Amino acid sequence: MRLSIVPLQPLEPGQLNVLRARGAVMALGLLVPAAVVEIALADRLPVHGVLAGVALLLGIWLAIVAPPRRWRHWGYAFTGSELHVAHGWWTQVHTIVPVVRVQHIDVAQGPLERGFGVARLMLHTAGTDQTVVALPGITRATAEEIRDAIRARIGSAA
Amino acid sequence: MNDEAPRRVHPGTVVIGLVKSAPSTLFALPAMLAFGGELGIGLVLLLTLAGVAALTFFAWLSWWQLRYRLTADAFLIESGVLHRSRRSIPLERVQDVSIEQKPLARLLGLALVRIETGGGDKDEATLDSVTLAEARRLRLALRRGPAVAAGEAGAAPESAADAGRALFAMPLARVLLYGLFNFSLVWLAAIFALLQTVDDVLKFDWQALIGIAGREVRSHLTVTAGLSVLAVALVLGVAAGLLRTLAREYGFRLDAREGRFRRVRGLLTRSEVVIVRARVQLALIRRGAISGRLGWRSLDFQTLGGSDDRSGRQEMAPFAREAEIERVIDAAGLPRFEADALIPVSRGHIVRAALRHGLPVVLAFAIGGAFLPWLWLGLALVPIPVGVALLQRRRHRYGLRDTSVQVTRGVLSQREWIVPYDAIQTVSVRRSWLQRRLGLATVAIDTAGARGFHRPDIADVAAPIAAELAPALLARALA
Repeated sequence: MRLSIVPLQPLEPGQLNVLRARGAVMALGLLVPAAVVEIALADRLPVHGVLAGVALLLGIWLAIVAPPRRWRHWGYAFTGSELHVAHGWWTQVHTIVPVVRVQHIDVAQGPLERGFGVARLMLHTAGTDQTVVALPGITRATAEEIRDAIRARIGSAA
Repeated sequence: MNDEAPRRVHPGTVVIGLVKSAPSTLFALPAMLAFGGELGIGLVLLLTLAGVAALTFFAWLSWWQLRYRLTADAFLIESGVLHRSRRSIPLERVQDVSIEQKPLARLLGLALVRIETGGGDKDEATLDSVTLAEARRLRLALRRGPAVAAGEAGAAPESAADAGRALFAMPLARVLLYGLFNFSLVWLAAIFALLQTVDDVLKFDWQALIGIAGREVRSHLTVTAGLSVLAVALVLGVAAGLLRTLAREYGFRLDAREGRFRRVRGLLTRSEVVIVRARVQLALIRRGAISGRLGWRSLDFQTLGGSDDRSGRQEMAPFAREAEIERVIDAAGLPRFEADALIPVSRGHIVRAALRHGLPVVLAFAIGGAFLPWLWLGLALVPIPVGVALLQRRRHRYGLRDTSVQVTRGVLSQREWIVPYDAIQTVSVRRSWLQRRLGLATVAIDTAGARGFHRPDIADVAAPIAAELAPALLARALA
């Protein structure tokens, strides 16, 4: 059940691959040391395979189960005067950033994101807990479109 | 012609810096002495002297390299030995100038000058330290433009011209009364922690001493002895609270002049802080568990760039009556708090509060009871957190008033926020797993310059209401 503040758009499917790839990297970060420990200390471990088994389960969760869930809970809407960003699977957060409160805007693209054809829009506000509101997983064109629209609004307000 | 020659801060600064660094130097001494056995006492003394000389030289060097200059349209500060930095503050950006006197600086008649600019908190310029007269001259010059800088204004007429309308002041009796409510056992803990540290340095055998004390206590333990220990702890706690409050709040005085407040306070460290009205983001009124029942409140302003005060907000009136608080709020151009006009959050808040406060109690005693069966008795305490939870909903209220959103929260100690709509930066609606099951949501209001705890969040309103509340808040914020 979602809050119906505004109808939200889903992220690009490319972002799902970005999340999967990040999950896979984290899973490897768990699996490799676990495997190394299992092999190196094979004689001294009381039960074999527990460490590797737990790491494998966590890895499957991180790389395969969690990414689609997290991706599904992302959503955004740009109304012209506000940017809505919703995310979170366990704790759901819907943040509304009024365009006139935006201090400056970045469009960022990491190597993974570039590979899957998505970009990240970062809105900086003067706030404290939400100094940076990030909207990942939109196309570069969309990100630049929103950025230009916001820039036009801030420019005309100033 | 307005440009003046570059000046340096007072040479006494070097002395203060050395004295301040002395404790850490002294802590190195035992280590040196420990090596002394191998190196010989003469060499140790020589090394120590060399160290002090080096410290002195570097302190002097950084003093020598720090220069400031007032030009026709800017204030320049150059500093740094290897990495030179040059900061230029356009005079039109100077909001105000604060002066602070720490105990050592007061002995030498010096003061720290902090130049407040309209921008963020990090890059505010400070001059540590100049003479009080120079500090006042700078304040006058920086605030009223360069023309005044030429004439060396005396301290007396300046301070007379400066005194604005007195808004709130705490006479000694009030400060002492406030100190009584600041009773704290934390300071006793701090003293013991200090003993512990000293213990490490002195290699003092506390364990043995406590062992002896423990045996003594056990052999003489009576109810009277126990009570007198408690009484001593209480007296120390009260005394610690009184002294600390006296040191911080002595001579508290808040003045208002066009567009700014000036707060002076402190017994040993005398601080003079300027709070620019335009930078005030929200007001927070707090009532203590006991003092609040007796009609005392405190008022904090959250400002852009935060504050050095303990709470991270500017303490405008730490211990005041309702009417005095309202006078300060009026002077800041903020609306008054309208307790009667606010509505409570959803009933679901009771469930969540009961779970949050009751569950740890239940778990702790249930698990404890598995090992020590008499701990099961602790489960009888569960009605207390549940009762508090019932009150929590009655005390957590909010309302969208004419020019501000107002939120109140807290059962024992209460908090009241006045957040002008202009100050709202972003609004978030948060729903945890439990909140979704209960059909609730938390509306979080983000403002600039918040520090530490206590945010004006509206926790646990019904989800459909939250979905209307968030856009409604922003609509007013942008109106």
